[in-house]
Amino acid sequence: MAAEKLYDLWATRNPQWEKRYEDSIIKNFCDYGRGATSLREDRGKIFGGGYEIFIIAFFIGLYFNERRPLIDDTQKRKILGQPIQYWGNLDSVKGRKAYPKLREYIFIALIARTDIDFIALEKGEITTRKAVDMLMQTMEEYANWGFHFMEDKLTDDPNYFFRETAFLEIFLAFDASPVESIEDDEPESLD
Amino acid sequence: MIIKEIKIKNFRSYYGENHLSLSKGLTLIIGDNGDGKTTLFEALEWLFDTTGVNTQTSHISEKRKSELEIGECDEVSVSITFEHDGEKEIEKSFTFEKSFDETVYTRDFMFKGYFIEGAGRNVISGDRLLNMCFEPVIRKYCLFKGENELNVFDNDTALKTLVDTFSGIRQFDELVEMTSNFEQKSANAANRELQNDKKVSNQAKELNTQLNDALNDIKNIKQELEQKRISISEFSLKLELLEKNQETSERYQAIKERIKGLTDKRAKLAGQATCEYSTNLLDKQWILRSFPSIIQEFSKKVSALSKEKRRLDKQETERRAKEAGERETISKIQKLANDAVPLPWNLPDESTMKEMIDDEICKVCGRPAPKGSEAYEFMCNKLNEYLAHITAEANKKSGAAEEDKPLFQNTFINELHSRQIKLSGETEQEISNIATQISDELDFVSKRKSELAEVDKQLQELKTEQNDLLMQSGLSAELLDKSISDLRGFFDAKSRAESRVSVLETTLKFKENAKNEIQEQLSKLEPTSSMTQVYQRVHAAFEKITKAFSNAKEQNINNFLQMLEAEANKYLQKLNKNDFYGIIRIRKTINNSARIELYSDNGSRIENPNGALKTTMYMSVLFAISQITTLKREQDYPLIFDAPTSSFGGFKEDTFYNVIDTIDKQCIIVTKDLLNIDKATGQKTLDYDTINKLSCSVYRIEKVEPFNDKDLSTIQTVVKQIR
Repeated sequence: MAAEKLYDLWATRNPQWEKRYEDSIIKNFCDYGRGATSLREDRGKIFGGGYEIFIIAFFIGLYFNERRPLIDDTQKRKILGQPIQYWGNLDSVKGRKAYPKLREYIFIALIARTDIDFIALEKGEITTRKAVDMLMQTMEEYANWGFHFMEDKLTDDPNYFFRETAFLEIFLAFDASPVESIEDDEPESLD
Repeated sequence: MIIKEIKIKNFRSYYGENHLSLSKGLTLIIGDNGDGKTTLFEALEWLFDTTGVNTQTSHISEKRKSELEIGECDEVSVSITFEHDGEKEIEKSFTFEKSFDETVYTRDFMFKGYFIEGAGRNVISGDRLLNMCFEPVIRKYCLFKGENELNVFDNDTALKTLVDTFSGIRQFDELVEMTSNFEQKSANAANRELQNDKKVSNQAKELNTQLNDALNDIKNIKQELEQKRISISEFSLKLELLEKNQETSERYQAIKERIKGLTDKRAKLAGQATCEYSTNLLDKQWILRSFPSIIQEFSKKVSALSKEKRRLDKQETERRAKEAGERETISKIQKLANDAVPLPWNLPDESTMKEMIDDEICKVCGRPAPKGSEAYEFMCNKLNEYLAHITAEANKKSGAAEEDKPLFQNTFINELHSRQIKLSGETEQEISNIATQISDELDFVSKRKSELAEVDKQLQELKTEQNDLLMQSGLSAELLDKSISDLRGFFDAKSRAESRVSVLETTLKFKENAKNEIQEQLSKLEPTSSMTQVYQRVHAAFEKITKAFSNAKEQNINNFLQMLEAEANKYLQKLNKNDFYGIIRIRKTINNSARIELYSDNGSRIENPNGALKTTMYMSVLFAISQITTLKREQDYPLIFDAPTSSFGGFKEDTFYNVIDTIDKQCIIVTKDLLNIDKATGQKTLDYDTINKLSCSVYRIEKVEPFNDKDLSTIQTVVKQIR
């Protein structure tokens, strides 16, 4: 039997988020939970599935490197419509392009930013389930901070995100200066 | 009818209640594009529409609509208070409500009129009151949208409507009809008598049949002739216009070409000037713009883990190798002198070995082995080896599995390591290029956007030029769109019609002669009865009377047009004070419509009066019509114009409003004149220099700022009385 991959285990999961962002953010910007018969004035949503705004929120938290633990009461949390492994498979949506690789970058960021004792994991001293739980916690906490950030902006100006460049501008504000290439302290021996 | 006040509530951009008090003379309502000028005009049009229930939801103020809670309702209403044999009011309204599924529906349409007497009000239906005080035909000459609608004679029935309504020629119509009826009857009676007359009966019958045939033929020929003449006149007019305006036509075509080119360019630019700023974050992975530093963190972490794992692995291997090495050394020590194979480790057994060591004798060979001797040492080693084996056996039994188990059960670090390797090289390069990609694309889009703005500006200028050209030339776009090949078509059609007319004219002459001959023969018949002769004379008399009334009708129309012309010329002179204005002639056309033309004093026609002169010419006719209406109805009526002066220049505007201000007639003009716009800042200010010279009421209408230019529900017009 082929060994299980950490990535695959993680990708079957579906992150949680706080219900209080459902109307103000998720439904406001995405098609999340909308029936086809809805008669609401069609304002043209900025994003498609609910996970798209979750990704945006996650990266905001990630680049600010700010986390916010989710509310303890699990009744006040919700999950998205699809587990991570299906995120970004958009080929059938008109005018959109699939972005399956983005999932892998999220995973990379989670590995970089989650304090897991990988040696213990490798020895089997901690379970893989525990390790994946920790990755999910990082993911949810970054996104939770991102949602909080967006809510703040909306409180100041309810139309803030209806400027077409509003989301992009947030990401243009982060540092993107080129990084030095990785140099090991000493070359590893080849034996 | 003099309008005293207009109230508009929740009608399109007129959110909430809005009032305008009007003066008896001129009221100016000034606003820029999109400020609600045309909406005000259309609110009045809606009020004056008597064709039935009209509760279009598009009339509802979007702002009010968006504020409504579910189940809440409000109303759209437009009303005017006016003076017409006492004070009266007309109000049109309907209620709108937001239902549970958030759709807005309308109900309770109301159209009511009121007679106001002191504090009391008597109700009457709105359309009845409107038809009583402001009948449809008068309304037609009172409301004008834009400069191009000012020519009231633009449609073929206009002259007839006007003449019928205001000239009293209607009575002539009845007389003409009545006398021609008598003429017909008397002719029939005279004929009948002739045919019954014994002496001439047969001849009369024969002649009458011939006469009827001839009359039928003549009637058909005349009909065809009239049609052909109308066609010829139309073709001639078009040809004349095109020929005289060849230069205009060429300029128009050139502008059209440029507009087409620019429109194509615009479409292309519009396609390029868009960018999916938000979804590109995901679809084009723009969100990874700042990701390289995270990749670096990941790589460092994974490299360190990988190194640590290998270090631990190596350590473990070394530990195991060491243990194995120790066992090997022991075996080496026990090697026999002559390289013979030693006994198995378990022979002799432990007790035998201990006994031999205690006794210092090798009981296998029977030789003594005193302490310190080589043989004694051999026996001690042999015992130790035995004990080591036993321990090892015991260890083997208890923890053999642990000894074989690898240090690391999982390979997650390897998974991460191969991911790290995959990331390096091209992928990493791709991610670090995202920042450049974004700035390139944003730069591209912004450049296209400014190009687009420039093209829009050029297009706007060209369209203005095109409109000015149309206004100045007096030609329709439709006509100028015709190409040279169409011109040839006009020529051909015209000459075909002309040759047909000449054939018809000859035939008609021939038929007329034949008819006259028959009639003469008929009149020469000498009936025996004197009664028959009387019938013939009566008929002859009616024929003359009919002709007289026909001529009188014609004369009357001409008189009416002359009166209209005279009145119009008085206004034209006033409106063009200190400027050239010419003489208005209203000419009847072959199809009984009329054309307003301008002539110079020396009798030559001014083909293309400039835009402002043309507008004042049409307006003068309107004022004249209104003047005649007032005389006829003994009532005054308002004239309401939406943006009538777009082709005027600043100076002309001043004069125009100064003159209108002094004309004793209620005039409501909605306009963007007298509004100065600072080109640099876009700031709009009223032209108080001109306004202060006027004595009329002035209102400013404008959009409330701030508003969202994409969201109609943020648009609201406010009405401010300036004076």
